[in-house]
Amino acid sequence: MKVRVGEIDLHVQRLSPDAERAPVVVLVHGMLYDSLASYYFTLGPAFAAAGLDVIMYDLRGHGRSSRPTTGYRLEEHIDDLVGLLDALEIDEPVHLVGNSYGGSIAFGLAAAQPERVASVVAIEAEPPVEAWSQRLGDGLARAKPWLITDEAIDLIKQAKGDHEARLSRGAGKLLQTTTIAEDVLLSRTIDPGLADIRCPVLALYGDESVLMEQVDYLKANLIGCRVVVLPEQGHSVLIERTAETSSLVLDWVREQSLVEAE
Amino acid sequence: MSVDVQTTEAGVLEDLTGMLRVLLEEYGLEDAEITMATKFHEDLELESIDLVTLSGLLREHYGDRINFATFIADKELDEIIALTVGELVIFVVEALR
Repeated sequence: MKVRVGEIDLHVQRLSPDAERAPVVVLVHGMLYDSLASYYFTLGPAFAAAGLDVIMYDLRGHGRSSRPTTGYRLEEHIDDLVGLLDALEIDEPVHLVGNSYGGSIAFGLAAAQPERVASVVAIEAEPPVEAWSQRLGDGLARAKPWLITDEAIDLIKQAKGDHEARLSRGAGKLLQTTTIAEDVLLSRTIDPGLADIRCPVLALYGDESVLMEQVDYLKANLIGCRVVVLPEQGHSVLIERTAETSSLVLDWVREQSLVEAE
Repeated sequence: MSVDVQTTEAGVLEDLTGMLRVLLEEYGLEDAEITMATKFHEDLELESIDLVTLSGLLREHYGDRINFATFIADKELDEIIALTVGELVIFVVEALR
């Protein structure tokens, strides 16, 4: 279904169990290459079968949601998510599962509006601190002119196949036709001491990922944070390690829901 | 069940082709040939998000008996991407039996 939020339409897929008062889990996908399909074909059905109220949506600019030219700062993505929860009349705290950039949105909402968030599961994701904005913004600034060249697409095709090449062409188009790359650098960031994140956090990383430095950073700054590192795994934890991710996150949500109920 | 639901392989292929035409029109690919061997990704250039839309169209047309989520639950994402129209047709035909 499409849900009107502010000036845009968000494409939403909700899998609700028959039982009332099931814990609500919102699955937030990553940037450029991603859409809610990454959850629809992985965690979504399993979570719904386990009795969770599963909400998946396409971020603005992605999948089948509207693609405005501007409005891609982190806080605007956070406003979209809050607007979506309001439109669906969900006012209880929700469990947020965020993959990559989606995890940064989840952390951002947890910091900005803690009353809306029961817990955060960050899959290969960074909290949106200043260093995150710089690193991601620089990466996107480099990718923007490169991904529209035939040379880049050919190289990607040779290294990773047709599918990845097509996704990369799509990513290049999104970068060219919107302010998504520039808006990362303009995004409001959170305190690097992570003092504003007070909800329970589960974070998953692949041990071959460039984000491995997050493990010590989160452990040092988020007391009680649970971090799981999957061996022999890069950034694509959600897609390549779906079964483990699914069981870790399901156990986590069940555990958190029991804590809430006490 | 409404009377216009076809349950034979040829009938399901015809209905599925109609749904795919709707999706493909948005991409200006309405002339693409669609057979049992057609691959969603390789031949029709559909992405996984298009299969999410298709799943909604299937449910609308056939009702809750066609649960695409169950069909894909035990498949890896790359297998889903490599799906053929025929595989989906056979799944629908069997589910309608």
